Amino acid sequence: MTPSPDPAEPRAPAPEHTGDTSPAEDTRADKEIERLRTLLFHRELLLLEQLRARLDSPDARAGDVGSVLAEALVLSSREDDRLKMAMEPLVDRIVKESLRDNPHEFSESLFPLMGPSIRKSIAESFHAMLESFSKSMETAFSWKGIRWRLESLRTGKPFSEVVLLHTLVYRVDAVYFIHSATGISLASVMNEGTQSGDSDMVSAMLTAIQDFVNDCLADGKKEDLDLLRQGEYTLLVERRPAAYLACVLRGAPPADYRAHMRACLEYLVMEYAGQLANFKGDTGPFAASRPRLEKLLGSRFVDEDKPLPVWIKLLVAALIAACPGAAGYVFYRHRENAARAAEDAERRRSFRADMLAAVDLLRREPGLLVIHAAEQPAGDTPSSTASAASPGNSGQNRDTPQEGATGEAASPAAPTAAASLSDHTGQGPAAPPEQASAKASLDAGTPWKVVCLKDRLARTPEEVLREHGKDASLFSFTLIPYVSYEPDMVSKRVDLSIQPPENVSMRFDDGIIYLSGTAPMHWTLEARRKALTLPGVKDVDIRGLSDPRSARLAAMIQEVQGASVEFPLGKDVPVPEDMPKLTHLVDTLAAVQRLAAEMGMAVSLTIYGHADAVGSVARNYDISQARAKVIAAMLYARGSGMPLALYGLGADYARKSEGPDQSSRRIELRVHLSPSVVPELDFINH
Amino acid sequence: MLTKKICMLGAFAVGKTSLVKQYVYSIFSDDYLTTVGVKISKKNIAVNGVDMNLVLWDMEGRDAYTDVNISYLRGAMGFFVVADGTRRDTLDAALQLRAAALDVTGPIPHCLLINKADLAPEWQVTREDVDRMRNDEGLTTFATCAKTGQSVEESFRTLAEAML
Repeated sequence: MTPSPDPAEPRAPAPEHTGDTSPAEDTRADKEIERLRTLLFHRELLLLEQLRARLDSPDARAGDVGSVLAEALVLSSREDDRLKMAMEPLVDRIVKESLRDNPHEFSESLFPLMGPSIRKSIAESFHAMLESFSKSMETAFSWKGIRWRLESLRTGKPFSEVVLLHTLVYRVDAVYFIHSATGISLASVMNEGTQSGDSDMVSAMLTAIQDFVNDCLADGKKEDLDLLRQGEYTLLVERRPAAYLACVLRGAPPADYRAHMRACLEYLVMEYAGQLANFKGDTGPFAASRPRLEKLLGSRFVDEDKPLPVWIKLLVAALIAACPGAAGYVFYRHRENAARAAEDAERRRSFRADMLAAVDLLRREPGLLVIHAAEQPAGDTPSSTASAASPGNSGQNRDTPQEGATGEAASPAAPTAAASLSDHTGQGPAAPPEQASAKASLDAGTPWKVVCLKDRLARTPEEVLREHGKDASLFSFTLIPYVSYEPDMVSKRVDLSIQPPENVSMRFDDGIIYLSGTAPMHWTLEARRKALTLPGVKDVDIRGLSDPRSARLAAMIQEVQGASVEFPLGKDVPVPEDMPKLTHLVDTLAAVQRLAAEMGMAVSLTIYGHADAVGSVARNYDISQARAKVIAAMLYARGSGMPLALYGLGADYARKSEGPDQSSRRIELRVHLSPSVVPELDFINH
Repeated sequence: MLTKKICMLGAFAVGKTSLVKQYVYSIFSDDYLTTVGVKISKKNIAVNGVDMNLVLWDMEGRDAYTDVNISYLRGAMGFFVVADGTRRDTLDAALQLRAAALDVTGPIPHCLLINKADLAPEWQVTREDVDRMRNDEGLTTFATCAKTGQSVEESFRTLAEAML
C-alpha cells in the first residue's frame, strides 16, 4: 500500500513564482517532488505513522506504561523516598475510604491475619510480664538488686527509676512538633509513663528560651539553639524555617538519631507545607503526624547478660579482701569527721551568736539604724561592698574590711580554737591582734554585711563595736547618711549648735528644749533662733533663763514710767520743785538706754503731754504738746539718740474734769524695748 | 482545636501579670519573667462554639517603656497593651508599644486595658483620653481591675472573638 501524502506533513517550501514560468508548470513540478519524496522515504514515513497511531491511542499507552511500571517503581525506591512519600497519602486515603465503604469485606479479609496477630500479641505480653517478673525476682535477691534498693532508699528515688538509670542506654521521653513563628505545639507524642507539662506551654516556653538565647548569646547573628542539657535530660532541637522538632531524652542516643529527626522533620515540612505556610492556629490537620513522631520515640537498655570481664572480677575480689581494713579505717575517719563536724557546727553557732550580739549593739546605738545585717554572700568581698558606702565614710569602711580580708593571709599564727568576738581583748602574741582574731573568727563563718543609716553626729559602727571589745573587721559596713530624730541625737545637735555657757543647763523633752540658768539676753535670743532651725526641735522654752541685769533694767524703767513732772497753769516749763526730778528722769533714761544696749536691746520712748480742763480744747492740745517737747528737747540736749514719739493729749486724760488742777498738767513716759522676750521685762510692752 | 498566641505588653508595674493571674491558673513559675523576660500561661475557652487554647505570653515590663523584645512578638495572633490608670505616662508608653508591636506583627486584633479601676478616684487618665482613643484611634478599650476581676474575662473573650 502506498501511503497517501499527509496534508499536515511539512512540505518543502514551494519555489516562488518568478514570472519566468506559468502556474500550470509550477503544479506539475510540485507533484514530481512529492512523488520523489514518497519513493525515497517510504519506510520512515510508515514508521512515523505507526508511532502517531500508538500515541493517540490511550489503550496502547497504558500497555506501554504497565510493561515498565514495576521496573520504574523498583528503580525509584532505590534512589530516594519521593515515590513512597507521594504514594503514602494516596494509599492511606484509598484504604480509609475502602474501609468506610466495605467494612465487612475488610474484616473478613483481615480475620485470618488478625487472629494469629492478636494471639501473638497476647502471648508476647504474657512473655514480657513473665520476663519482668523474673527480672524483678532476680534484682530483688541479687547483690545488684540489693545495692539498687539501698540507692533507692538513700536518694529517695523510686526503685524502678534507679533500675532504669542503671540499665538505660537512652530513652526518648517526648517529641514535640512546633510551629516556629508562633511557638504553638502542632503535635506531640510521649513515651508511656512520661510525665510532662502541657505541650502548648512547653513549646511556647521552649520557643521563648530559644529567642532569649538567640538575643543574648548569638551576638547579633541568627544562630539556633540545637541542644539543651540538664542533669540526665537532653533536649535535641532540629529546625527548619517553618517548624522544628524537639525531642526530650535521657541517656546517650545513637549517633544517627539526629539524622532520623532531620528526615522526619523534612517529611513533615513537605507534607504540611501548605498548612504551615497559612497557619492560623488550627492544629487539627497536624494530628495525622503523630504516627511519624512516634517513630522517634524509642529506647535501648544495656545487655544484662553480658558477663563481667575477668579484671573486674579480680578487682572486686581484691576489694572484698581489703574490706575489713578499709571498714576500720572508714569507721575511724567517720568518727573523726563527726567530731570535727560537731566542733565546726558549735563554732559556727557561737560565731553567729556573737555576730548577732554585735549587730544588736549597733541597733541600740542612737543615731544608727541597722536596715540589713546578714552573712555576706560568697564572692562578695568586703572591700567591694564597702566601696558603695557614702563618700564621708567610705575611706574608713574601705580600710576596715580589707584588714579582715588580708588578715587571713598575713597572720602566720592564728589561734586554732574558735575565737569568740567577745573574747577579743586586743592582746595577740605576734600577729596584729585584730587580724589574728578575724582569721580565727572567719574560720567559723563568713564576714557579715551590715547596711545602716547613720546620723552625722552618731558614732561610727566601728567605734561602737570597739568600745564593747568586738572585732569590727568581721563586718563590712555600708553607711547611708540620715538625720535622726532620736532625743539623744537632737539634744546633741542642739548642744553643738548653741554651745550653752557653763551656768546654763539644757533639757530635751518631747521636741521641746528647756533652757535654765542665767545668761545674757542676746545669747538667749540667738540660742533660741538657732535651736528652732534644727530638725527635731519643735520649741525652745527659755522661761528658766534669766539675765542678772534684767531686774536692774526693769527697776529703772518702772521708775521712769512711774515718775510724774507737773507744770504751772498755761506754762510748758515744769514747776520749779520738779526740775531736779526732771533732770534725774533724763539721767535715768540715759542709763536705761546704756544698759539695754549692753543687753542687746534698743530703747524707744513715747512722751505723753497732758493739760487740765481750764482753757479751750485747742489751747490745751497745744500746751500739752509743748510740754512733751520740753522733755524731748532735754534728751536731745543730753545727746541721746533715743527714738521718740510725742503726743499732746490735751485735757483728754485730766485727773479732774473741771477747774485748774496741777496734777493734771503733767507729762508721762513709756519706755519700749525691742526685742523684749525676757520674762522680767514683759510688763513693758503691755 | 484552635491555638492562639497572645502577648501582654505594657510598662513596668501596670498589672499585666496580675491580669493574667486573675484570668488563668498559671503553671510556670513567675521566675521565668525575670530570667527570660516572658512568662507563658494557657487558658482553654469556647468562643461561639469553637474550642480555643489561648497561649498567653506575659512579657516583662521594663523601665525604658518602649524597649520591648521584638522576638517574642513574632507569630502573635493578638495582643493586649496594658496601662495603669493612676499613671498617665503608662498610657503614652502603651500607645508607643502598640505602634511598635503592629510594626512587627502587622494588623492583628488587639485591645487596650486600662488597669487599676478600683483606684478610679486617683486616675490620671481621663474619660476624654479614653473617648479620644476609642473614636480617633479606633481602639477597643476596657477599664479593668486585676484585683476584683472587673472586665478581665470580658476583655479576653472580646479579643478571642476578634481572632476567630
